[in-house]
Amino acid sequence: MADAVITKDEIMAVFPTVQKTMADALGCDEDDIKLDVSLIEGLDAESIDFLDMVFRLERAFKIKVPRGKIIEDVRGEMPVEEFEQGGVLTEKGLARLREYLSEIPADRFKTPMRVDQIARLYTPETFCKLVIRAQRAQQAG
Amino acid sequence: MPGATQGGPGLPVARFAAFSFVDRITSIDGLSRVEGVYTIPSGVAFFPVSLVAEAIGQLAAWVAMSHVAFNRRPVAALAGETRIHSLVQPGDTLALEVDIESCDEDAIVYRGRASVNGRLVLELLDTIGSMLDTAEFDEPSRLSADFTVLTGAGRQPGLFPGVPQPVLTTLSHEPGLSLTARMDVPADGSYFADHFPLRPVFPATLMLDAQLRLAQQLASEAAGTPVRVTRITNVKVRAFTAPGATLELFAEHAAAAEPDGQMLVKVGARADTRTIAGAKMYFATDSGETQ
Repeated sequence: MADAVITKDEIMAVFPTVQKTMADALGCDEDDIKLDVSLIEGLDAESIDFLDMVFRLERAFKIKVPRGKIIEDVRGEMPVEEFEQGGVLTEKGLARLREYLSEIPADRFKTPMRVDQIARLYTPETFCKLVIRAQRAQQAG
Repeated sequence: MPGATQGGPGLPVARFAAFSFVDRITSIDGLSRVEGVYTIPSGVAFFPVSLVAEAIGQLAAWVAMSHVAFNRRPVAALAGETRIHSLVQPGDTLALEVDIESCDEDAIVYRGRASVNGRLVLELLDTIGSMLDTAEFDEPSRLSADFTVLTGAGRQPGLFPGVPQPVLTTLSHEPGLSLTARMDVPADGSYFADHFPLRPVFPATLMLDAQLRLAQQLASEAAGTPVRVTRITNVKVRAFTAPGATLELFAEHAAAAEPDGQMLVKVGARADTRTIAGAKMYFATDSGETQ
């Protein structure tokens, strides 16, 4: 998962399109899409909405985002058994998650944390970073 | 009678019949393209446009399921855009085509079309089916056997008995502007045994048809003349609706005309206060050419 630091300027460059795309997908006003709002707890997003958002972002940015890409990126080269056990993140896995989702306040990470709870942390900024990583990967060929 | 498998004279119509809209899969080109046919039984009273979309979606679903050994199946769907070119009639044979953009254990992305005697009747664009565990809905082994039938000689056509339109009770109405109605989902119906055998779910395409009825009424009131639906966009279903549930359907006519002069009506469905489905429907004055 190691990748170059993503700057605030890079995030703000893609945010307007991410904001519009997410508002369209969730049927809310663009003003509701703040960088740091929780998509699930703040905007009532559900799993089908995430599928919708990723699809729209792929179209808007002409990128490809494999399903489950965020979790895959978080784990990186770490073996699955080191990352999670029985659906619960290990200490190492949780540390890796905190590092990857650096935009999320520390108090939102629960201990223990189940893998299927990770999406509850996602914010529009998480998706801005997803877009930027996908753009970088595409440019790298 | 969930255990029944086939209809026919004197037999109950249930699984693989009561809500199945592919008679035969005629061609499969890997995981990129699939073609099939479906004949609308001549005895049904009507066949809503949403069921043409359902037929295309089911064709895509068969290929998606076969790709993952029938352990996952597409259920909830997002349809970016549906273009309705003309209406279909009982007795018509639909030529169904699907082009698959991607398919894995999580989702299938595809577009498709239906034609009758070479005339394009409906197109689906940017459609996504969310793949869920099959075991919750049906038995993988039975689906596999059904797929073998469809890719062989095909199943017995003409088994679809039709579906009654759910009763809509108006709750509020500003003619030409907005309309809300209560829809009492039937507690039983033969289609529940097919959709789905292990977990009955009110088909989203039937909900969409009910929403279309509301939207068409509003658009017609606003236009002062009969209208026809030309496009449906942003279709999203966020929850399953069980037999016997009560939903509140709503439709709102956007005051401003679209650039092409068409009328836009936004529709949705609420269960309690939660919005579980939504779409945008576009209408043009009906000159009669689509009938």
